[in-house]
Amino acid sequence: MTVIDILFRVDEICKKYERYDPERQREASASADDAFARLYTSVEDDIDKALEKAEKVYTEKNRAAAVALNAEVRRTKARLMEEVPKLQKLAKKKVKGLSKEEQETRFELVLAIIESIKAIPDGSTPGVHQTGGRGTSSSDKNIKFDSSEECFESDFYSHSEESDQFRNEYELRRKKQDEGLDVISEGLDKLKNIALDMNEELDRQVPLMDEIDKKVDQTTSDLRKNNVRLKETINQVRSSRNFCIDIVLIFILLGIALYLYNVLA
Amino acid sequence: MSSSDPNKLISKADKLTKLSLTRWSADWKSATLLYEQAANGFRVSKDNEKAKLAFEKASKGQEMLSSPWDAAKHMESAAALAKELRNWTEVIDFYRRASELYIQCDRPQPASDSLAKAARALEDALPDDAVQLYTDACVILEDDGKEQMAFDLYRAAASIYVKLEKYTDAATFLLRLGLAADKSNARNSQCKAYLSAIIVYLYAHDLKQAEKCYNDCSQIDAFLSSDQSRCASKLLSAYREGDVEEIKRVAQSSTISNLDNVIIKLARKLPTGDVAEIKGDADKGEEETLDENDLT
Repeated sequence: MTVIDILFRVDEICKKYERYDPERQREASASADDAFARLYTSVEDDIDKALEKAEKVYTEKNRAAAVALNAEVRRTKARLMEEVPKLQKLAKKKVKGLSKEEQETRFELVLAIIESIKAIPDGSTPGVHQTGGRGTSSSDKNIKFDSSEECFESDFYSHSEESDQFRNEYELRRKKQDEGLDVISEGLDKLKNIALDMNEELDRQVPLMDEIDKKVDQTTSDLRKNNVRLKETINQVRSSRNFCIDIVLIFILLGIALYLYNVLA
Repeated sequence: MSSSDPNKLISKADKLTKLSLTRWSADWKSATLLYEQAANGFRVSKDNEKAKLAFEKASKGQEMLSSPWDAAKHMESAAALAKELRNWTEVIDFYRRASELYIQCDRPQPASDSLAKAARALEDALPDDAVQLYTDACVILEDDGKEQMAFDLYRAAASIYVKLEKYTDAATFLLRLGLAADKSNARNSQCKAYLSAIIVYLYAHDLKQAEKCYNDCSQIDAFLSSDQSRCASKLLSAYREGDVEEIKRVAQSSTISNLDNVIIKLARKLPTGDVAEIKGDADKGEEETLDENDLT
């Protein structure tokens, strides 16, 4: 048989057994006018996605990413739980072309959906509360443990390789921090001493500056006084009255000289 | 006028001041002027001896003209030249005279300054006189109420004493520095002074005196609550334990490194002598007191 023949045969078989294909059914029911079916299919899609994410958490090495994924799964679950009442209402509605048995099956479907939503693993157990064990976060009473209940067995508290390594790393880092802090404290000591010395030096200079200030004030006032006096003197020397007197006297002298000239000549 | 030979100027000025039959009163004004010019001329030509003489005469002239300020200034220049000539007695005389003239002008600050300059010049040659000059300078400042300027002088005097290995005198000076600092509210300097005194006593291998000093100083609140007193108590307890390592460690700390250079050198050289011996002495001292108690 050629490839084309195989393809045709596969197509025929698929068409024959269409009604057993869940995805097709879902699409068919989604395209139908039935609101319940649409909502149901969308909820199922969401549940599948959430399950995928939950599976990814197991393979995730990075703790932060795992926590983020868990949080997303939880969020999705919460959303889906909100959709459930809607589903229930729709299930109660009587739809055209639907038999009574199908109506009942719908109820059961809704219940099954609720169970499957709750069963999605999201790395948390609802209802485990942290009661005042941590002194620093006493204001927040709803701290949940980040592990499921089955882990609290004897193995949990024994040293594992990972925790030993972690502890060593922590000690190393703390030592480095201590060294750094020592250097900083020494530098701060030096700064403090220098600052205190500067402080005293400035205190010493303050009375000197006051004296300088006083003396300079005295000198400026003296200068101003002298300037004023000088101005007055100059004005007197150049006063217009003296100038006129000078001109008149010169004219008188010229007159006398002319008269003498006339007399002699 | 100033370009002519300074010698000629001097002889001219001398003639003006010498009294004779033709001259009934000395003409100090022009004479002083001539003396100053001559002195400057000599200084330019680096003839220190003649310049010094000229400055002396100029200063005398200014005194006659009753301007002690100028007289003092000339005296200082003369003293500086005497320092160049390394004529120490003259240096002391000139600076003292200058200081007196400044006091006449009612200016204690330059007076103590000139004494301090004298002391600095004499530090190497005549340390005892230098210390005396420093003391006098400090007294002048204290009388005027300006203790803050005296800090440096006290410190310098103490370092001279340390160089002369007169440790008790050095410590006394440092305590006087502490007193001056207390009066002018300079807490940091005060605590540093007390710590330095304790270190000097320890360097002189005198643990009892050091402890007594520490106890005395602890009466003062400012010292008691300071870094320096903590450092001192650490040092003293290290001495009492006889722990050389601890002594060295305390000496390297930043509190001690902030003191005067001379004191830092002493601190780094601690402990002098055998620390265990000191410890033995201290214990023996205690035992003796116990015996006395038993007898009574």
